[in-house]
Amino acid sequence: MTIDLAADEAVQERLCRFVAAAAGARRATIGSFAPLRGGAIQENWSVDIELEGGASAGRHALVLRTDAASRVAASHGRAEEFALLTLARAAGVAVPEPLWLCSDPAVIGRAFYLMRRVPGVAAGHRIVKDLSLGGPRDALAERLGRELARIHAVTPETGARLVPDQSFDFLTPASANPGLDRIRLYRRYLDDLGGPHPALEWGLRWLERNSRPSREIVLIHEDFRTGNYLVDGQGLTAILDWEFAAWGDPMSDVGWFCAKCWRFGAVDREAGGIAARAPFYRGYEAASGRRIDPTAVHYGEIAAHVRWAVIALQQAARHLSGAQRSLELALTGRIVPELELEILSLIDAAEGRAA
Amino acid sequence: MTDHPDGAALLDEARRTLLEILLPLLPPERRYDGLMVANAMAIAAREAAQGDAALREAVQQLSALFPAASSGEDPRAHLRELEARLAGEIRAGLCDAPGVRRDAVRDYLRRSVIARARVSNPKALP
Repeated sequence: MTIDLAADEAVQERLCRFVAAAAGARRATIGSFAPLRGGAIQENWSVDIELEGGASAGRHALVLRTDAASRVAASHGRAEEFALLTLARAAGVAVPEPLWLCSDPAVIGRAFYLMRRVPGVAAGHRIVKDLSLGGPRDALAERLGRELARIHAVTPETGARLVPDQSFDFLTPASANPGLDRIRLYRRYLDDLGGPHPALEWGLRWLERNSRPSREIVLIHEDFRTGNYLVDGQGLTAILDWEFAAWGDPMSDVGWFCAKCWRFGAVDREAGGIAARAPFYRGYEAASGRRIDPTAVHYGEIAAHVRWAVIALQQAARHLSGAQRSLELALTGRIVPELELEILSLIDAAEGRAA
Repeated sequence: MTDHPDGAALLDEARRTLLEILLPLLPPERRYDGLMVANAMAIAAREAAQGDAALREAVQQLSALFPAASSGEDPRAHLRELEARLAGEIRAGLCDAPGVRRDAVRDYLRRSVIARARVSNPKALP
């Protein structure tokens, strides 16, 4: 069950003591505490905290992020996500400033961290429909391309230099062909879930036969898509949701961003439902000095639909097993056929066949 | 025999009541829950209305790919067994070679996925 942090005074008192100590303040007081609508994996709370004394005295608009009751396999915990936010910020990516991490479950019951609250809207269906959000769309797509390039500028070597006092050993070292590692992992997930899922096997087999070793291994966000960034009336304000970040092939993030399943119904705007691919690619190429490889992106889009279908099956299984009863998780299981249909169509296109 | 209105028709009417009468009464932060309930009811209604036709068609098409397979008593269990064999063949690379069998497998996958999408989200169909 979800703990109602907003209603638990003892929890809030412990939270205040933690924040005061972490910020070097004499006292911390909570002004407001309200849930934010987040993903199925974590809970986000909007918290206003007043600090008395110390270098950070004053009022702070924050977000508290903690694990929800259950997690998806392969997602990082909050301590790792805090480290990734620190790394992304050091690399110049627009992210909320990470402030204080608390790994001690005695404070609020689970690990959590606090970051500065960035104004904006993340909901994908709203951003796609409401053109008053995010500023001119080509500029937004181009900016997103540049942000992604900044993420991909981080390598295992530069990452260690950017945040020298932090270990990133929790990021599994990438092999020469991260795509093949993924295929093995997803087959294991499918076997665990029980099946059969012949259309997903069709996709996995195609990915296996067409995989190529990565030319370079960089930090990839792994969930870089509309719905996971914040915009205000002018443009982008932050890139969110770092819990899947990994070392991998840069084109896989490009494919994920452009995949039809993340266009929120605006399927003709192939860059995340907000713009054509051209401005997104332009921003990415200009900032990265790397050429977009359309074949690798197409591969990435097939991999994206396979991955989302496997996660959707896992989310439905969490509901079905009773681990987390939820209509949202249950309905997620029913998006699998449309994902499979797109996998079949993308493979047909790659093989030069009309659907 | 089924009494009327049948299950699918009842779900349709219940959904109309939800969307037209109840949804406007919900506070804004619960509106999404209301829409999810309506979506779940629509899927269940389409599934109930479809009956066993798609299942029988899938079994028939797959049986042609695996002629030696014994037909089970329960068509649902039989389809599961045939699809498990197909999934295993695909993974093992037995459907890689261009030709009649690969085309037949591809055709089966497309038809069965479209049949399932027709129930879960007809808007996604081409």
